[in-house]
Amino acid sequence: MADLRFAGVRKDYGEVRALRGLDLEVADGEFLVLVGPSGCGKSTALRTAAGLEEVTEGSIHIGGRDVTDVKPAYRNVSMVFQSYALFPHLSVEENIGFGLRARGVKPGRARDKVLAAAELVGCEQLLERKPFQLSGGERQRVALARALVREPDVHLLDEPLSNLDAQLRVYMRAELKRLHQNVGTTMVYVTHDQIEALTLGDRVAVLNEGVLQQLGPPDAVYRRPANRFVARFIGSPAMNLFPAERMDGSLHAGPFVFEARPNLPERVEVGVRPEHVRVDEGDQGAAAEVQVVEMAGNETYLHLKASDSPLVARVGADVRPPVGSTVRVSARPADAYLFDAETGETLS
Amino acid sequence: MKSRNWRQLPAALIAAIFLLPLYFMVSGSLRKAGLPPPRTLELLPSPLAWGNYERAFELVDIPRYTLNSLLVVAFAVPLTLLTASWAGFAMARLSRRPAGALIALSLIALMIPLTALLVPRFTIFKELGLINTYVPLIAPAIMGTSPFYVLLFYWSFKRIPPELFEAARLEGLGPLATWWRVAMPLVRPVTVAVAVLCFAFTWSNFLDPLIYLFDQEKFTVPLGLRALATLDRTNFPLLLAGSVAATAPVVVAFIFVQRYFLQEFRGVGWLGR
Amino acid sequence: MLRDRERREYALMLAPYLVGIAVLIALPALITFALALTEYDLIRSPRFIGTQNFRDLWDDEVFRTSIRNSLMFILFAVPLRLLGAVSLALLLHRRFRGVAAYRTAGYLPTVVPDVAYALLWLWIINPLYGPLNLALGAIGGPTPSWLTDPRAAQWAVIIMSLFVIGEGFIVAMATRQGIPGELYELGDIEDASPFFMFWRVTLPLMAPTLLLLMFRDTIFSFQANFVPALIVTEGGPPPYATTYLPLFIYRNGFEYLRYGYASAATLTMFGITALIVYLQYRIVKRWRHAFVV
Repeated sequence: MADLRFAGVRKDYGEVRALRGLDLEVADGEFLVLVGPSGCGKSTALRTAAGLEEVTEGSIHIGGRDVTDVKPAYRNVSMVFQSYALFPHLSVEENIGFGLRARGVKPGRARDKVLAAAELVGCEQLLERKPFQLSGGERQRVALARALVREPDVHLLDEPLSNLDAQLRVYMRAELKRLHQNVGTTMVYVTHDQIEALTLGDRVAVLNEGVLQQLGPPDAVYRRPANRFVARFIGSPAMNLFPAERMDGSLHAGPFVFEARPNLPERVEVGVRPEHVRVDEGDQGAAAEVQVVEMAGNETYLHLKASDSPLVARVGADVRPPVGSTVRVSARPADAYLFDAETGETLS
Repeated sequence: MKSRNWRQLPAALIAAIFLLPLYFMVSGSLRKAGLPPPRTLELLPSPLAWGNYERAFELVDIPRYTLNSLLVVAFAVPLTLLTASWAGFAMARLSRRPAGALIALSLIALMIPLTALLVPRFTIFKELGLINTYVPLIAPAIMGTSPFYVLLFYWSFKRIPPELFEAARLEGLGPLATWWRVAMPLVRPVTVAVAVLCFAFTWSNFLDPLIYLFDQEKFTVPLGLRALATLDRTNFPLLLAGSVAATAPVVVAFIFVQRYFLQEFRGVGWLGR
Repeated sequence: MLRDRERREYALMLAPYLVGIAVLIALPALITFALALTEYDLIRSPRFIGTQNFRDLWDDEVFRTSIRNSLMFILFAVPLRLLGAVSLALLLHRRFRGVAAYRTAGYLPTVVPDVAYALLWLWIINPLYGPLNLALGAIGGPTPSWLTDPRAAQWAVIIMSLFVIGEGFIVAMATRQGIPGELYELGDIEDASPFFMFWRVTLPLMAPTLLLLMFRDTIFSFQANFVPALIVTEGGPPPYATTYLPLFIYRNGFEYLRYGYASAATLTMFGITALIVYLQYRIVKRWRHAFVV
């Protein structure tokens, strides 16, 4: 078990800057999630940690050791690929034990370890089968068992749940968390799904275009986003964002009016999360036309239009105004976020 | 990180070895005929005797034979592309059992050596009175020249997502229209590959012209080359000049199109699959 | 479910291929069967003589020699060619600077017309002044008389066949490129040596294709040496060292006009080929267990 540190890591592919100076520390035993949209550099970061890609600049440290120039085999890490990368011609047992056999571990000893790892993930029944006989979830478990069997210092996981169907994904999420609680090894997990990030991570690192946007516990990233990007990326449906107009000491942002603080920059944007949009059918607040009503089981998403600004509100399941009707929307100032329109940084 | 460049040196070396025969063909052809044979390995002869080419063209009607070969190729290659891609397409679109049977049939047919069929094919064409014509030379193109080409097309069409074909079907396109408008544009690299392979095969074909063509003016290039060999068997510079003339068209065609079919095969037919 | 119109169009598309196979492959095969039992010189009608041809073949020294020669050729040429094709494929399957040129170089000899290729080698292996022996002599190696020594002549034909492995090269390369790269990245992470990866991953995953290549090459090798044999050695120094089966068949059919006899030889060739392929199949099946990790 060890900690993992990125120090000023830069990775260029020719003209393309995949990572621009990443500084990130993953504590020993921590479950860290790297999250961001496609192309943000999260997979690249993971692969440089594994040693599958060379860094253009900077260094990687595992357990205090500088491994920047060390071959992947000697970094003592494991990797779970999005496509699982199971050997199609080998049985589950042989797949799990692959690394052990490659390192020359005797078949007898290897078998014990393989069995233990299989039991950890719950696939001990499948040892004789071949990958093509397994379901997606089962293949995933085998890939996990293979990563666990060597007891490395760090587990690297590259979008392991992306190929599973929605329900299975939810189930495996919990399994992964349970696994981490059991085993306690440092885990670095890459995903584009912000829900996975919030539910799984001890801490979340949000990346965009090769730059770390924010690092913190899920709560911090959700409630105190560092900038506009994080605010919009985390949380579903995404935060409503309005350009704000200043008029006699007030900020007019979409349908909302807030008191303007002193010392605000020239241009400001205001963000309100859908669950903070209060919808009344009475007379308080601004008027908004109901355009689409999405029923999501235990809650409802209302797609509204208020004074030419679209916005989304999250309300209870029993609130279902008819399409075309008018409702009143308001928001508490405390729930509103202020962003600098130029830099995107959060101001409050 | 492993440096992948260890491959450079061995690859260059091996490539050089493979190019050696061709190099000797050219350098040997430029040697002045009639000189006493070389005593040491001669990398580039001096003086350069282009006269060998002149003489080869004098002795044997190379231009005419080239035209004959081109004629055969002009029929054989397009016909092959048509029939091989048709068959491959049909096989790719049929359900598993008929397709499986056809694949098995193709594999078996692939295993049968051509020399085994020489004699009976000859008798067939003789009965049809088609000896001494180009028909027997072009006839294999009717079945795609080789089951290998059919299988190549089959594999490529198989890699195209079936949804594309379903969408075409919904638009009212029948199999032929789908083949022409949807499938073929997506397999250009393979089409080029088959065209070149077929061209090379048909151009080089020595056996069939040997047994079917009797009139010298109908000879194709390989036969012409052999005629040259029988005329002046020991004049190697001359023979090599003829060889270069016979080989050049194919090599040139190949070099032009090799990037279509020596590229990575991951993306054949459809990207990102 | 296919509608009528679709069925007709598919039938149309398959028709040339199937008709072609029927007329150019199946029909000739049947004729071979029939002709093998006759005496036929193309002028008079075939005369049924039962199994006489086969009995004559059995006694024919040249036939037995040509079978032996063909088998010897296959014994050496097929594994060497397969090895060459796979080596080329493994060397050149990744993209690196200049790889396109190297791939082209590897394929180029295959594209050369058979006759030109044979004449070229006639020059190269000329014992007195061909480049091969001159080069060998220059480095102090042996300079065999390729054209007159039976053993050497056979080896010359084998060596010639080693440069024309283009098709096998491409098929092997395509197969190798079809193996997901992540399997090798996993190997990097799991400290698997290149040999381990080759033996336990690359080879087993390429095996089905290589098997097919081996079958095809065996069958192909039965006929590949026809042109070289004819042009280069004209059947070989005594005793018929480079008369291989195809040449035997060609000679008896088209030069001696004994078509019935040639057909009988053809059938025998079929039989031997099928037997060898079957044996190869059985042997490899037995060995598959060696690939288990």
